Amino acid sequence: MIRAIIIDDERLARNELKKLLMEFPEIEVISEAANASEGVEQIENLNPELIFLDIQMPGKTGFDMLGELDKTPHVIFTTAYDEYALKAFDVNALDYLVKPVEPKRLADAIQKLHLQEEREPNQAQNLNINRSILSEQDQVFVKDGERCWFVKLSDIRLFESVGNYAKVYFGPNKPLILKSLNALEERLDEKTFFRANRKHIVNLRLIDKVEPYFNGGLLLEMKGGEKIEVSRRQTVKFKEMMSL
Amino acid sequence: MTIFNRISNYWLCQIAGWSFVGLSYVFFAYTFGRKLSSVLFMRIILVVSIGILITHLLRWLIRQLNWLLQPIEKVLPKLLLAIIIASLTCSLLFVQLSEFFNLSDASSKLNFSSRLLATTMDIGLFIVPWVLIYYFYHYITKSRKQQLDTLKLEALVKELELKTIKSHINPHFIFNALNSIRALIDENPPRARNAITELSNILRSSMQTEKSETVPFEKELDIVKDYLALEHIRFEDRLQIEYQIDEDTLDQPVPPMMLQTLVENAIKHGIGKQEKGGMVKVISDFKGNYHELIVQNSGFLNGHINGDGFGLSSTKNRLHLLFGEKANFEITQYNNIVEAKVLIPIEQNKVT
Repeated sequence: MIRAIIIDDERLARNELKKLLMEFPEIEVISEAANASEGVEQIENLNPELIFLDIQMPGKTGFDMLGELDKTPHVIFTTAYDEYALKAFDVNALDYLVKPVEPKRLADAIQKLHLQEEREPNQAQNLNINRSILSEQDQVFVKDGERCWFVKLSDIRLFESVGNYAKVYFGPNKPLILKSLNALEERLDEKTFFRANRKHIVNLRLIDKVEPYFNGGLLLEMKGGEKIEVSRRQTVKFKEMMSL
Repeated sequence: MTIFNRISNYWLCQIAGWSFVGLSYVFFAYTFGRKLSSVLFMRIILVVSIGILITHLLRWLIRQLNWLLQPIEKVLPKLLLAIIIASLTCSLLFVQLSEFFNLSDASSKLNFSSRLLATTMDIGLFIVPWVLIYYFYHYITKSRKQQLDTLKLEALVKELELKTIKSHINPHFIFNALNSIRALIDENPPRARNAITELSNILRSSMQTEKSETVPFEKELDIVKDYLALEHIRFEDRLQIEYQIDEDTLDQPVPPMMLQTLVENAIKHGIGKQEKGGMVKVISDFKGNYHELIVQNSGFLNGHINGDGFGLSSTKNRLHLLFGEKANFEITQYNNIVEAKVLIPIEQNKVT
């Protein structure tokens, strides 16, 4: 059973989607929200596995709402017609449905979701263990100009502090998110993510090389080629962790 | 035809100008009481023919080197040099030839170089005006042609603008409406049937407007009513609609889909942005010599009002194109109401 929330400002649009979802008994619509703030509240309270999200809503857009979440459930976007958003989706192959929704497209999207769930069977359990710490399988929503991504934490090799923002390194991309490094550090699993210095948090599983550096520090080379210096104090901690 | 014209124009000026030079020589000779000998006439004919030959060569040079198209400050030094060389060549030719034909001025007993210098100055006084006239003529023709081109271009732009404005209908609206209607089919079938009629009306009119520049206000209002009825299905009790229409204004000509665009903006930027929704009010009335159309919506203007967004800036342009500069469009904010106001002068035919 997949627990889902529908977020759309139009009652009729929500009804229509609910009606279409009756064909899929494995999807249980546990709640509805009419705007972004209601959406955030319900996602945090009910912790659904899936949300259907309208992009254009009064107040905040669907994208804005995702940016506010620490971790995002699976998202299927719904939109009437929005060239700008559709472009962002096409680039990243995120799942979206255009309204009025074609039942066949909905079936495809749900099928894709099942495949994804099979590949990561432990996720459902992970969700409930400790909600304040994000697991490697959790995904975050990242938007940078016209492009947007859902990124698994396990794919992120590096967070870099840039003023009030953090630059997120994954694959060839490095978009900015509006989060401080300290706030991120609190939410990240310290077994995987390590604070190398004042400006960087690295993913321990995506380190390519470790070399000694000046003053008894270390120099880490990440899988993407970035070279990160580990401060002297953190080097001690790093060695402790790695020797375990 | 133009080439032939231009050539004959050039030769006309050339001949008229140099004849004038020749005549003025005769005139001065006469007023200063000199004898009008055949030698004098021969000398004048020699000066005029050399003048025509050299200035014609000068023209060939100017055209070959494209000096007319180059910026004046770049050409000026070259031009001055050319004038000096031309004058010098003229006088050299003149002095040599007049000697050859034994036409030299008996009164002048100056040596060769002084005579050359004097003649150069003399002829230079004709060549400088020649160049000025030549440049002036081309400057005038060029700027007139430019003006004509600009006008043609403006007309084309106007035509294109009108076309794009007219065919503008928001696809987001269409698909949202279709989605609402699909949901209504089960929930409220009679309303769903109405909604389909309303949507067809809007689609039909957006296609028909291609043909006419203005429509009676009544027709436009019908579309706006259909449009708002459809938006009401979407927004439900988040959208209140009010009309305040003076019946006499129903026959007034208005640009098609303009009120519609304003109402669409009121929904998009006003109601659509507020979680609790709000009100949209359409007012049509006479005010002085104007037909006043107002769309109000609850909400706030965000900073960029002046001509930002396709709808608003095009509305103003379009009004000016159709009704002249007297027509006006403005958008203002008071309390928590945003008001878009259109003023169309009455009893005035549209600008042709």
